[in-house]
Amino acid sequence: MLGNSLYGKRKRPADAALKFLINAAAALTVTVLAGILLYILVNGLPYVSWTFLSTAYSETDESLKGILPMLINTMYIVGITLLISAPIGISTAIYLTQYAKQGRFVKAIRFTTEVLSGIPSILFGLFGYTVFCILFRLQTSILAGCLTMSITVLPTIIRTTEEALLSVPDAYKEGAMALGAGKLRVVMGMVLPCALPGVLTAVILAMGRIVGESAALLFTSGLSYNMPRGFFRQIFASGRTLTLHLYQTAREASSPDAMHIAFATAAVLLILVFLLNRIAELFSRALRKG
Amino acid sequence: MSMVFNSMKNTRKDRKKNRVKKGMAVALSLGSVFSFFLPYMQFVFKDTTYLVSGFQLATAKGFRVHGSGLSAVVTIPVLARAAVISGMLFAAAGIILLIFRKPVFAAIAYALSGITPLLVLISTTSIQTAVTQLNISKVSIYCLWPFLYVLAGGIACAVLSVWTQGAEKLAESIFLVFSCVSIGSVAFITVYIFAAGSPAIAQIGLGQFLFGREWNAEAGAFGILPLILSSVAGTAGAVLLGVPVGILTAVFLAETAKPQLARLVHPAIELLAGIPSVVYGFFGMQVIVPAIRSFPPFQNHTIGDSLLAAILILAIMVLPTIVSVTETSLKAVPQAYREASLALGATPVITIFKVSIPAARSGILAGVILGVGRAIGETMAVIMVAGNVANMPTLLGTVRLLTTGIAMEMSYASGLHRQALFAIGLVLFLFIMIVNISFTFISRRGVRMDAR
Repeated sequence: MLGNSLYGKRKRPADAALKFLINAAAALTVTVLAGILLYILVNGLPYVSWTFLSTAYSETDESLKGILPMLINTMYIVGITLLISAPIGISTAIYLTQYAKQGRFVKAIRFTTEVLSGIPSILFGLFGYTVFCILFRLQTSILAGCLTMSITVLPTIIRTTEEALLSVPDAYKEGAMALGAGKLRVVMGMVLPCALPGVLTAVILAMGRIVGESAALLFTSGLSYNMPRGFFRQIFASGRTLTLHLYQTAREASSPDAMHIAFATAAVLLILVFLLNRIAELFSRALRKG
Repeated sequence: MSMVFNSMKNTRKDRKKNRVKKGMAVALSLGSVFSFFLPYMQFVFKDTTYLVSGFQLATAKGFRVHGSGLSAVVTIPVLARAAVISGMLFAAAGIILLIFRKPVFAAIAYALSGITPLLVLISTTSIQTAVTQLNISKVSIYCLWPFLYVLAGGIACAVLSVWTQGAEKLAESIFLVFSCVSIGSVAFITVYIFAAGSPAIAQIGLGQFLFGREWNAEAGAFGILPLILSSVAGTAGAVLLGVPVGILTAVFLAETAKPQLARLVHPAIELLAGIPSVVYGFFGMQVIVPAIRSFPPFQNHTIGDSLLAAILILAIMVLPTIVSVTETSLKAVPQAYREASLALGATPVITIFKVSIPAARSGILAGVILGVGRAIGETMAVIMVAGNVANMPTLLGTVRLLTTGIAMEMSYASGLHRQALFAIGLVLFLFIMIVNISFTFISRRGVRMDAR
């Protein structure tokens, strides 16, 4: 548009160079990231089959190279962790936004959760291992992994839920109060339903984080790959998740066959994360629409 | 207003309901007091079994344990005795307080009595370690039903006695207790990391620990200078590579790209921020490491697992973070700034670099710091590509970072070695804290600037 100036084109080679740099950087980012996705999916998807998803795993038995135990363990960890951390996290957000006096104390808490949400997960693993596995004598078990993960995702859940709750207009609350509703009714019947898509987004984001977590679970939930023997017994047994399975098979792999397992596991992980991401996107879109 | 309604509604029916709740709480807590005399825990030392009630746990001297040839008395920790007794006393106190119409205090007493089994559980762990020194490896401690009853009963009684004050009060107390739990647990980690990390530093000596050049657990050499330098080098390299590319990509998305293209690329980058780090590590192991190994100028100088591989994989991992934060802050720059600049005759490219980017400065810096935090804390991706030998960092040599140092040895470390790993955790924690606190301050300043 500037080139159409009356007085002719004033060429600036620096402009062209910078423009080129911008495009090159964008192209590089997209290529690298798309390359990773394509590389994993192209190499992994051919080996993902129903048998792969539905058979047990064994290091010695050639016929047992599935990921069913890891899928079950991942579900256990996601489910139990959310059962613990979602009520606690959402209650905390409700208390901080609706009940607590908005003063220095709440600000300090908000600052702490903000700062602590960046703690590397290996430190949570270290903490969980000594406190839950040793001090509470849970050994390396799925329950210990869940308790560790609950603390890991708490700051995320609290922060995202708080944002959702704060986005509910005050007028709604005042309207409900003016009609004579008590505080509990206002919170549970008015504020929480209005913020529900945001709260669900928080939970799904936490799910994504739990599915992708590995460092915090390495020492707490352990690396066992046995098939679960009972619904409740498995909670106290050690079990590896999909991410740890990928880590372990990739490190130990010596044959091309073993590499295929790692590729297929990585592909399954990517698809899972992709699905969770889509669902979170849908919910946040619903929130924006109101 | 609602107070008036409540008192008006406080009919006979309500009072009757409250009496039922009170009665249930009293009955449940009487059970807690009674279970003090029932078998509470079971201790199995090799072939002798002790079935211990709460009363016995509080009064007995200890367990006579027969090891190989010798026998000794294993004492019961004072904390365990105190916890068992106070569990019973708190339950009894709850009943009295409830009868004298102090339901809130009763609830506190009940909650405290519900916590005591956990204290018993923690404090009896030392019995296990004490017996291991007697050369008995088979020790198991089981918690029996009264143990769980005291735990669950305490919480149930607390809920019931607050409930007599009305649902509003109950809900508020539950929210308050849960927020105390979550904030307490998150704050406890901070305290714990300091408490667990500092003894080793005191024993090894701060200078020796931070500036020692050798890490050799068998020889008792715990110097983490190579780990610190490798972490710093890895992070710095990742930032040097990732930041320019990330910022320019964000500029592309926010300023120069066609909207349709940006709409396609943006969600893809969001998605990539969520990919598990193990997958990145796996990619690095499969693609980057072999590429470095067979790159002609590097051949015979490296095995592929190297600082360079770690830098490359970290740079890729921080890209999505930097791009999305930078893009957001560029979009927040008012359109009028750009229009003014263009009206003054600046070209679009000059406008980007002289107006948009400086205006979004604080947001961009926040994104960079967030990326730094992610790079320092990354463990699993690095462990798969860095080689994990505690060398001084060289670009093509194997390195071990702070995070991987913990992850590599945690499973078998004991004694001072394990404490030293906690001390590494403390150093890592301090690094992250500095990064995060500066992030929080910078992003807040950005918000304040926008508000003006």
